[in-house]
Amino acid sequence: MHELSLVQGIITAVGEIASEKGGRVLSVRIGVGELAQFDIRLVRGLLNDLKKGTSLEGARFTVESEKSKVKCLSCGRVWAFQELAGPISRDEREMMHFLPELLNSCSRCPNCSKSYFEIEEGRSVRIIEVVLDA
Amino acid sequence: MPESEPRLDFRRGMIDRRLAHTKRVLLVMSGKGGVGKSVVSAALAGIAAASGLKAGLMDADIYGPSSALLFGAKGLPAEGESGLVPPILGGVKVMSVDLFASGRPIPLSGSGANEILLELLALTDWGNLDCLVVDLPPATGDIMLTLTSLRKVDVGAVVVTMPDRLSTSVAHRVLELLKGGGVTTVGVLGNMVRGSAKYKETGPRKLAEEFRVPLLGLLPYDPSVSNAVEKGNIEVLLRTKFSRSLQRSMSAYLRGMRRGTPRASG
Repeated sequence: MHELSLVQGIITAVGEIASEKGGRVLSVRIGVGELAQFDIRLVRGLLNDLKKGTSLEGARFTVESEKSKVKCLSCGRVWAFQELAGPISRDEREMMHFLPELLNSCSRCPNCSKSYFEIEEGRSVRIIEVVLDA
Repeated sequence: MPESEPRLDFRRGMIDRRLAHTKRVLLVMSGKGGVGKSVVSAALAGIAAASGLKAGLMDADIYGPSSALLFGAKGLPAEGESGLVPPILGGVKVMSVDLFASGRPIPLSGSGANEILLELLALTDWGNLDCLVVDLPPATGDIMLTLTSLRKVDVGAVVVTMPDRLSTSVAHRVLELLKGGGVTTVGVLGNMVRGSAKYKETGPRKLAEEFRVPLLGLLPYDPSVSNAVEKGNIEVLLRTKFSRSLQRSMSAYLRGMRRGTPRASG
């Protein structure tokens, strides 16, 4: 369950921001990109568990799911994971769960069938915003 | 008034904490493809482990990974409570994108390869290591820049080159980049060296002299390496003339690591 490592990484990083700035964290917005296929409830639960006993215990964490946005650098089409023409196997989903960029290894642009595209949004879990009291 | 913090890549901190338990990161680089970095990296990690050091091998050649093949590693790494658990083969903890991609092509544009590298470094639980050998890809792009910018860990670099002018000219650029950048240049390592005595010596030695770094050794062109690679077994590779020569070339460095005082050999 590498979600645990990632969430622990978020908690530590936000704690470090607060410590460096010398402020109290009021709220944190977390994005969960669809390509990594995390269970958003699991991420919420881990955040709530791991903040306990830390300086972030009183902070409000909101977790938002983020749709994928993939741009084909060959034809220019912007597309989302759900628009893929071909099926994605269980093995392929699993490798993307760890490394979302491997979408490039198992799919092609639905418009021009080229493999030349990049993920612009919705790859994995990320910190969108940390709000501190000044 | 609340203050907004800009986006933060929390993986950088995770990487620092992961590598806090690694005594030394050793980058195997050349700038040029085809000079044998992957085989040198694999054999070096294997030699380090065989000499009693806790060794790991990170395959940073994201587009053309080969470490898993060289060690015969297959399948997704296990997930432990602290992250991904690298498989241990020949005493070496091995991590590669190919454990996930399983031979599929890895066409990546822009920052894709570097994203994968950051993710693997952030997620891999190496535990305590004496030495993490990193097999770099050709070129002096994002991956090299990321790895030469690692913080809070002692980073050294071995620059591998063949003796010819094409290889040494690119190795020259890499050595130039390493100067004063916070990474210790452990030395220059000639690889696949054959031909007249004068030819064998010239390129790598000139580089080492110009940059005032040790010439670690001149590894012979050894056809038995191909057979060892076919086997996908690190122990077979370690029995080659090439590996014995590499062991001699790096013996002082590895001895220093065992004593806990890594330094350039010479």
